[in-house]
Amino acid sequence: METLDHLLAGFAAAMSLQNLAFALAGCILGTLVGVLPGVGPAAGTAILIPLTFNIDPAGAIIMLSAIYYGAMYGGTITSVLLNVPGEAASVITCIDGFQMARQGRGGAALGIAAIGSFIGGTIAVMALVVVAAPLATLALKFGPPEFFALMLFGLCLVTGLAGRSLIAGIMMTSVGLMISLIGIDPVRGAPRFTFGMPELYDGLGFIPVVMGLFGVGEILATAEKPYREIIKTNLRKILPTREEWRASFGPIMRGTGLGFFLGLIPGVGAIIPTFMSYIMEKRLSKTPERFGKGAIEGVAGPETANNSYANAAMLPLLTLGIPSSPTIAILMGAFIVNGLTPGPFLFAEKPVLVWTIIASFFIGNVMLLILNLPLVGLWAKILEIPYQYICAGTLVFCMIGSYSINSSLFDVWVMLIFGVIGYLLRKLDFPLAPAVLGLILGPQLEKSLRTSLEMSAGDFSIFLTRPITVTLLVLSVIVLAISALNLAPKQIREASDD
Amino acid sequence: MKRGWIVASGLFLALFVFIIWQSWSLPFLDELGPGPGFFPIWLAGIGAVLSVLLMIETARGPADPPDETLVPPRDAMFRIAAVVVLLSMAAFCLEWLGWRITATAFVLLLLPALGARSPLAILPVAAIAGFGVFHVFYYWLKVPLPIGTFGI
Repeated sequence: METLDHLLAGFAAAMSLQNLAFALAGCILGTLVGVLPGVGPAAGTAILIPLTFNIDPAGAIIMLSAIYYGAMYGGTITSVLLNVPGEAASVITCIDGFQMARQGRGGAALGIAAIGSFIGGTIAVMALVVVAAPLATLALKFGPPEFFALMLFGLCLVTGLAGRSLIAGIMMTSVGLMISLIGIDPVRGAPRFTFGMPELYDGLGFIPVVMGLFGVGEILATAEKPYREIIKTNLRKILPTREEWRASFGPIMRGTGLGFFLGLIPGVGAIIPTFMSYIMEKRLSKTPERFGKGAIEGVAGPETANNSYANAAMLPLLTLGIPSSPTIAILMGAFIVNGLTPGPFLFAEKPVLVWTIIASFFIGNVMLLILNLPLVGLWAKILEIPYQYICAGTLVFCMIGSYSINSSLFDVWVMLIFGVIGYLLRKLDFPLAPAVLGLILGPQLEKSLRTSLEMSAGDFSIFLTRPITVTLLVLSVIVLAISALNLAPKQIREASDD
Repeated sequence: MKRGWIVASGLFLALFVFIIWQSWSLPFLDELGPGPGFFPIWLAGIGAVLSVLLMIETARGPADPPDETLVPPRDAMFRIAAVVVLLSMAAFCLEWLGWRITATAFVLLLLPALGARSPLAILPVAAIAGFGVFHVFYYWLKVPLPIGTFGI
């Protein structure tokens, strides 16, 4: 009952004209980010953070969250019309979505993706409402050892599923953690790796680093191969036929459950639910030979799972303060920039704010359905903007974003340097997602490790005597073992860099 | 790709060794428990070992296909260099010339370098990037963007 009261209060706040405008702006910008190839949700969310600098924290988070799940909707459009995923989670949609477009059924593919995304997203938020408060209450009982084990588990999942080499994944996590060590030591307050430079006392800014790695890095990669072909398809008929509905209902429901369940596990990237949904639908189908040739189930299931995941993945962030993917890590950075620390204490200290954000997810899903069904032709037109203008616009936003955080040119240089590093690492196929998660979780991970060891007078067995930490550490070892033995599907490993 | 991975692993190894050397002067333990040097030394130690393992794993791995190259074609190289050089120049000039002049010039030079040819499109886009964006961010969103020595 208390949850319902909080949710209603959240709706009252989220329905204010100002917050509705922020949600709408976020949905439009997010869809745009998803539509534009070369600008992924991580880069898009990072470069649009400056838009929220002078608005209240609730409005800022509503807008940035809407950008995040809006990008998940928008990514489908390029997958279907260009055979190029707008974001990593839409990779699988290329297979059958593009084939449907070639057969003149592009409108139906985009229609079922939008409807499935709406159903998946909305049901996932309903489930989030039920689970969030009890999980936050449980998390309040977590001590530093439990938080350390949980963060380690999240990092292991991202590391184990990223890239073609487990060693490279762990190394990139170490690099991210290493960057997070620059600045003042979070426990004793001693400066580390600052080399006498005052700019480094606060550490390297998370936003310039991420803008560089994902924004500038992606632009440099796009500048290398800029040309693309757009498929001309029928976008007038976007509502699926009765037969297509019947074929899609099961995949949508299964995709919802799968996406929600996997979204609850910190570290599972958006790519995994979509691949699992596709594999599951193909296995369950009586005519699996249609998959890869334009089967609507191959679009409906993964797209639903994608959006169900995107909404459910907010749960570990809001209740535990653990981001599930680089994009969620950037959202966490946005919380911190706005003076908020996501996690169980946020639920206890600012319940109205948290429930306003959750209520805005419902509103955002409705807005995205409206934006995506009738306006799909308009979004498709945006694909015709030449890439040069997209590059210039993205770089202008990167400059604004990196400069305006501290009004410092130093941050612009940081962005530029990390842009070149990001491009080179991308060329070499080194995974970037573990580095970003290491960067955002580094200070908390170190603090919880050192506080745990202070509690036990330096005895590491503190992690082996508490049931939750033991469970999480065992799961971490299992995840790394699965990765070391190459048991995770190859496509997931190759595509799970968000 | 193989040579690239070996070089990258070598650079990571150098970075981790440098971090260990820098962390050595920080207290590893103090009267309360682990000190500021504890986590960096552990982390850089693990990173250094992994760099060596990655080098060995890559060296033992299969050779690259003969036609595989990491170096982009000349035209792509020009576009990439243009982005990096123009961004560097923009960073140098930003506080001196201010946002409006710097961003206008940046876009004006970047678009042709990336292959845009129509002045009718380039000029308005550059003006929007410089003056339009400044107006929206500085006056509407109250985001501080630099005003240069010419007061623009």
